Amino acid sequence: MPRTSQLLIYYEWKMLIRNRFQLLMLAVTFLFGMYAIYYGQSEINAQRQTIRAVQALEQEEFSSYQASFTEEMETLEQEQTHDIASRPAYAWYRHGYHAILPPHDYAALTIGQRDLFRYYYRLTGMSLHYQLFENELANPVNLMVGNFDLSFVLVYLLPLLIIAFCYGLFSSEKENGTLPLLQMQPVSLRRIILVRLLFYFGLITELAFLLSLIGLFTSGNPLKGENLVPALAWLVGVLVYCAFWFGLLFLIISFRQSSAFNAITAVGCWLLLLIVVPAVLNVIVTVKYPLSSATLAGLTRRTGLENENDEEEARAVIQEFLAHKPELTGSDSLMKNDLLPKAYAAFTSLKDINNQQQVDRYNAQVAQRNAWTSHFHWLSPAVNMQEVLAHIAETDVNTFLQFQSALAGFHGEITDFYFTRLFWDKLIVSEDYAHLPAFEMPKDSHRWNTVWWGLGKIFLAAGGTFVFGFIKMKERAK
Amino acid sequence: MHLLLLIAQKEIKVALRERLVVVLGGIILLLLGVALYAGYLAYQQQQAIITQVQTEKRQEWLNQGDKHPHIAAHYGTFVFKPKTVLSLFDFGLDAYTGTSKYLEAHHPHEFMFRPAQDHSSMIRFGELSAALVLRILVPLLIIFLAFAAFTRERESGTLKLLVAQGVSFSTLTWGKILAYVTLLAAMLLPFLLGIVMLSLANTQQETIPDVVTRAVLLALVYGAYLFLFIAFSVWVSLRSSTGRNALLILLSGWIFLGILMPKTVANLSENFYALPSMREFKATIEQDKINGLDGKTPRSVRMATLEKEYLEKYEVDSVQQLPFNFEGVSMQAGEEYGNTIYDHHLRELRQIFHQQNRLGSLASLLNPIIAVQHLSMALSGTDMRTFIHFEEQAEDYRRNLVRKMNADMAENSQYGEFYGYKAGSDLWQQMEDFSYQTPTAWQLLQYYRLEVISLLLWTALALVLIHYTHRKAKPLYA
Repeated sequence: MPRTSQLLIYYEWKMLIRNRFQLLMLAVTFLFGMYAIYYGQSEINAQRQTIRAVQALEQEEFSSYQASFTEEMETLEQEQTHDIASRPAYAWYRHGYHAILPPHDYAALTIGQRDLFRYYYRLTGMSLHYQLFENELANPVNLMVGNFDLSFVLVYLLPLLIIAFCYGLFSSEKENGTLPLLQMQPVSLRRIILVRLLFYFGLITELAFLLSLIGLFTSGNPLKGENLVPALAWLVGVLVYCAFWFGLLFLIISFRQSSAFNAITAVGCWLLLLIVVPAVLNVIVTVKYPLSSATLAGLTRRTGLENENDEEEARAVIQEFLAHKPELTGSDSLMKNDLLPKAYAAFTSLKDINNQQQVDRYNAQVAQRNAWTSHFHWLSPAVNMQEVLAHIAETDVNTFLQFQSALAGFHGEITDFYFTRLFWDKLIVSEDYAHLPAFEMPKDSHRWNTVWWGLGKIFLAAGGTFVFGFIKMKERAK
Repeated sequence: MHLLLLIAQKEIKVALRERLVVVLGGIILLLLGVALYAGYLAYQQQQAIITQVQTEKRQEWLNQGDKHPHIAAHYGTFVFKPKTVLSLFDFGLDAYTGTSKYLEAHHPHEFMFRPAQDHSSMIRFGELSAALVLRILVPLLIIFLAFAAFTRERESGTLKLLVAQGVSFSTLTWGKILAYVTLLAAMLLPFLLGIVMLSLANTQQETIPDVVTRAVLLALVYGAYLFLFIAFSVWVSLRSSTGRNALLILLSGWIFLGILMPKTVANLSENFYALPSMREFKATIEQDKINGLDGKTPRSVRMATLEKEYLEKYEVDSVQQLPFNFEGVSMQAGEEYGNTIYDHHLRELRQIFHQQNRLGSLASLLNPIIAVQHLSMALSGTDMRTFIHFEEQAEDYRRNLVRKMNADMAENSQYGEFYGYKAGSDLWQQMEDFSYQTPTAWQLLQYYRLEVISLLLWTALALVLIHYTHRKAKPLYA
């Protein structure tokens, strides 16, 4: 590094440590960051606790079933439990399985949509749609306000810190009367400003890295195989996002206006990118693709056969269902034993089959909305950054939509397990409990494309603003 | 007085000469227009969908054919949350409270379908509503207008001249405040009139009984809020040595009060008062239904007690001899016991919500932006209290429906013959369609006393501060 640059940095450092207000701002941001990490972890830990609690409930349920195969039958309750455990006619709508979307280690750093969407479901063989739409308990006020997690500190607060440190880099010299002195130096003004900007870039990025590393290490070991790439992507994201804001500040400074102008313009940009652009896009998408889930409400209705005593009707429903599932036919006693439970099972399954189209159409509309908004992500690197971070921690909306569609498959496994036994008139035996259906979330290969693309877009924005500022600065220097 | 007007006039001229301020004002006006227009469209679209679905469900209920009343109660019907016309001004919690609820016997459901779930992750950045523009963006304009109110005079030396000519600080301050108030009023008045006209045009078939009162109150609240912001900005300018300092203080205050604090408070409340998960909430209710609220009276015991009670009351030996169908009575008794249990747990749950939101109300004493936000949502009918009121009405409707069906069953059917009796459209007609009216503004404001007090206190504080500073205005040649 040339000596002049070293000298510049040295004096900038002296200025910094003398400026109590700036140091205070750094400290406050650091404390906010620490609180954000704590808050995110406490939220995600609460979710983990809930997951453990529901798993315990499930385990309790199933171990009572299993135990009923070996216990002596003494009370009526024990017999009932054994019936539920062994007879598919009861079991298919009683046995509840949890499909769980466990939080990624780094979900604590960017809670994303995890508070809005459900991350666990208890599914029985009953109608899928009856079980799918229930919400998790949440305070709507807190949902609206959103989460104070590390991604909020990085996306919202860091730019403000950058603005506060840099808006006066040039103008304050002018206003303090030191500008002519600087211009007399053999070093070009552009160079001076760039070195000073670089100094603050280093300082603030270090702060952001420090917070990120604390967050990453306390939320999950980043050196562990599956965490390594997310942790790296996170740090790259922080770097390019900081670079973008410094580029933007450089561009604003290069217009060589007063401090007030710079501050107003920079805060205006912040407001535009973080509040106005997303808010306008959201309201446009609401109006452009009007959608109300009220239309899906009917699917959640609990229904049954018109007349449960009418065997003819029961047979007809079973036949209709078996047309969809021919592999369930073949038992000699198909239309004799457990006619009512079979009819009920057939009825709810048919309902799901008939309603699936409506749900698919609705989901397609939601996807259309998402596609439309994602076209405009380039308008705001801040929105882009939030999206990238959410993708890294698997808390983005797509993860939840995939989770929901994976539920349909899992529900299919559950019904297959019970319906083969119900329709073939076989009892559930103790050994069956070793091969119960289990939920598995399919891997998403597109996730990392979105992340790298998003990072690329922020990088381009950073480069663009910087180059533009660089040219502008030179123009004026002549 | 003449002097005051002269100062105001001059200040308006200066403001209009400032290009940045004019541009910003233009942008804000445009955004306000877009927000109101989009809000109106969204209101109309959602209202149309909801009315249509509600009508469909009503027809389904009326034309469900002849069936046993308890089956009808089982399949139930739906209610949908209507949009209030003032929601076009402040969307409030509309995206985060559910929109529909399934009403069936035995199971009180929670509201389902949060509209935010139909959006991409970007929804968490907020939606552009007129309330957001007034609460967050217009204050920024005020800051830009007023930060230099005194510092400019001070820096250019005209302050000395003014004072030397005998203008009192009081006249100067009030003249400047008057200027900004006039500018803003000129800007916002057309929109205010627009909102009032829109609200008046939609008064028929409306869920809000007192739209006009609310619109006036909204105008008052926002008027007071914006005045407050102007007064404080001018005061800060008066007390600051340079424009740069004034701007920094005002911007930091605005970001802290408008962005940081609301989020922090909401998140802290989440840490202080934790919510149970839906699965656990439901599991405890089920547990209590089985074992009784005291954990010692299971269902069989409760039923036996009821039977004994009726047999003794009517002095007969068996339930068959009762002059009505005992099954209807026992069904209703079970329903009511279930309701007691549900109410008990729901009360606890709501208690947590209220405790969480209470923290926000307390914080509003320190932060007028939070106070205004709460009042604005309340007056627009998009706040938590209105939602809970709506939930209660819907639940009452459900209970009434089930009660009616069970009473009809007890009256008209015979013991033991469940399928023998069928009711028809006469009975379905007796159940009136669900319609909802919000509480009046005054009833609602009872819950928001702290917020009202906060706004009054802050206004008083602003006046006192300005007055006090006048008397102790620093000498110019200190």
